[in-house]
Amino acid sequence: MEIIMPKMGDAMTEGKVIRWYKKAGEAVKKGDPLLEIETDKVNLDLEAEQDGTLGDVSAQEGQMVPVGGRLATILGAGEKSGAPAPSPAKTEPQQRRVIDKKDSIKHTTGEYAEAIEMKAPRIDRTQAQKTNVVAIPQAESSRRRSSPLARKMASSMGVSLEAIQGSGPQGRIVARDVKEFGSGAAAFRPPIGGLKPAAPQQTLEDKSIPLSTMRRTIAKRLAESTGPIPHFYLTVDYDVTNLLSLRQQLIEIEQEKISVNDFVIRAAALAIRHHPNVNASWGDEAIALHGQINIGVAVSTPEGLITPVVREADQKSLIEIANEVRALAEKAKNRKLRPEEYQSSTFTISNLGAWGIEEFTAIINPPNVAILAIGAATSQPVVIDKQVVIRDRMKITMSCDHRVVDGAAGADYLRTLRQYIEQPVRLLV
Amino acid sequence: MAEKSYRDAIRDAMVEEMDRDPNVLIMGEDIGVYEGTFRITAGMLKKYGPKRVIDTPIAEAGMAGTAVGMAMFGLRPVVEMMTMNFAIVAADQILNHAAKVRYFSGGQVDVPMVIRGPQGAGVQLSAQHSQSFESFYAHFPGIKVAAPGTPADAKGLLKTAIRGRDPVIFLESAALYGMKGQVPDDPDFTVPFGQSRVAREGADVTIVSYSRMLQMSLQAAEKLSKEESIEAEVIDLRTLRPLDLQPAIESVRKTHRCVVVQEQWKPFGPAAEIAASITEAGFDELDAPVERVTGEDVPMPYARNLELLATPHEEHVIEAVKRVLYRS
Repeated sequence: MEIIMPKMGDAMTEGKVIRWYKKAGEAVKKGDPLLEIETDKVNLDLEAEQDGTLGDVSAQEGQMVPVGGRLATILGAGEKSGAPAPSPAKTEPQQRRVIDKKDSIKHTTGEYAEAIEMKAPRIDRTQAQKTNVVAIPQAESSRRRSSPLARKMASSMGVSLEAIQGSGPQGRIVARDVKEFGSGAAAFRPPIGGLKPAAPQQTLEDKSIPLSTMRRTIAKRLAESTGPIPHFYLTVDYDVTNLLSLRQQLIEIEQEKISVNDFVIRAAALAIRHHPNVNASWGDEAIALHGQINIGVAVSTPEGLITPVVREADQKSLIEIANEVRALAEKAKNRKLRPEEYQSSTFTISNLGAWGIEEFTAIINPPNVAILAIGAATSQPVVIDKQVVIRDRMKITMSCDHRVVDGAAGADYLRTLRQYIEQPVRLLV
Repeated sequence: MAEKSYRDAIRDAMVEEMDRDPNVLIMGEDIGVYEGTFRITAGMLKKYGPKRVIDTPIAEAGMAGTAVGMAMFGLRPVVEMMTMNFAIVAADQILNHAAKVRYFSGGQVDVPMVIRGPQGAGVQLSAQHSQSFESFYAHFPGIKVAAPGTPADAKGLLKTAIRGRDPVIFLESAALYGMKGQVPDDPDFTVPFGQSRVAREGADVTIVSYSRMLQMSLQAAEKLSKEESIEAEVIDLRTLRPLDLQPAIESVRKTHRCVVVQEQWKPFGPAAEIAASITEAGFDELDAPVERVTGEDVPMPYARNLELLATPHEEHVIEAVKRVLYRS
């Protein structure tokens, strides 16, 4: 079997062979690492997918190989090494030609019927002739029925049909269902004002809010004024005295290292459940709200910044988050992150507290619509009950994409976040 | 403009073309002395004489074959079939000769002839004489098929048929002969083939039809507007070969729903061809499957009550419209 350069992310077009762990002719077992490759983001090992002998190593160390290009072959028992392909990129077209040749032989030798059946599934014609109404087999009934127009509308609105209840025959989703779903979703407004914070949603769902005329206008005008993402910034100053003391206790009880940032990750994720509109992406036709809360954590590496992702961070305990972030940061520093470990964040946190930065603003990590910039916790004199006391304070600046998140919506989120940060016992439940 | 019946509009077309071109002649059973079973040719023998208004024996194959020969040598015969059902006997002459002579002669010989006559149900002519033939003829290349739904179109399309280079099957609806409508007086008024029209504008559903079913669809559309507040756009195809579906497809892009209405049996009928073509061109625009309204799949009964049960009516169109609008 052939070993080819894998595609490790949408943007990847080629990869570099760093080193071979095995030599041509060497016996390999399934699971053995064969070679290390380097992509634009990570280094990783490719493993043998079967037992055999490594043969025809066609990519040398240091060589760039296009995605899909051949690296080597693994020969099974009794297989002989063939001539290596002159160029890895040509492997695919050659395979196609072989198939074409087979077909043309079928045609020229008169095996016409067989050649056709190779391409089309068998149809029981006697069955089909019995009735002029084509019934959909029961087995397929789990498929969502939808009209072509409904599918087109949903796709242009960025709406998933899964979320829509069909009103047509047999539950067919028709245009009016998509329209109604769209206008219902558009009516969603982030809670503004009022003393009572928004209630958390037990389950979030993937959902799309079609753009209203007002929203389009806001987006267009703001983007025209300040570039592709119209940023604005909200800074808050939280009291983290309780949080720091809780952290100390947890470390002593659990004997686990938990950073302030791990608390912030959990607090940010829990607060998103009250304000799903900050856990979103901008699209030309619709705003996509994300059903998962995946927190990207900015990690500095010698090569630069990368944001590994803590998936469904609102579902994880402080200790789980702490362990995960530590492992991800370690991998990031060694360029060992896999694409699924740094892709599809829905919200990002950047923390420069360890550098002693008290306050800063971060640039939104697209397609997110918000990022939190966490400063260092510092001791400050504060007036409480007319007494000057020393408390620990931490500044957080939230950068928002104004196309999606308005000022009041961002402020609402930060108010909910304050409750989690200042009353950190909430983070334990 | 003058108010004319569908019948008189057809006669006017023939008279005007016979006045205009001495090569035009008409032939058929009982069209001269008897002045035609449906009195389409009343007064024509007297006006043009037996050389141009020819009473034939009861021999449709012979009539059609004679006309093919005449047309090949430069005349422009218009053959009246007492009903189009009788032309089945002449099918070989029409399909294997008239439709193919130009092809066989490498384009050297045209066959400019018209075979016209009434067809369709609704006038108690029983199983053999109530049939419709558009799917039969429109299937074959080399022939044109017209099916006018108004007096004006009957005149304009027949004049185009007589002036053209091709053999034309001109399908008149027996049930529309008495229908009156405004018809242009201009002797140069013609209606081109292959140009469908929007007979009624509407935004909610597209109804595609022709001939008598066009009139029925228009009535259904009025009723839908009054009783259901549904505005149907009605497309009149006018000719089935050439078939112009552009207005219908554009309409479906607007309404996203389509009902095709034909009088005859459902299997392999024009509605199937029209529905398939609209689906091919406008698949992503459709919010419901294209519905077909057709006659019942039985030989046409003679009894009035049964004939009414076997043919499509306004109510059928209204029901189909509600189904594609998911309102039923």
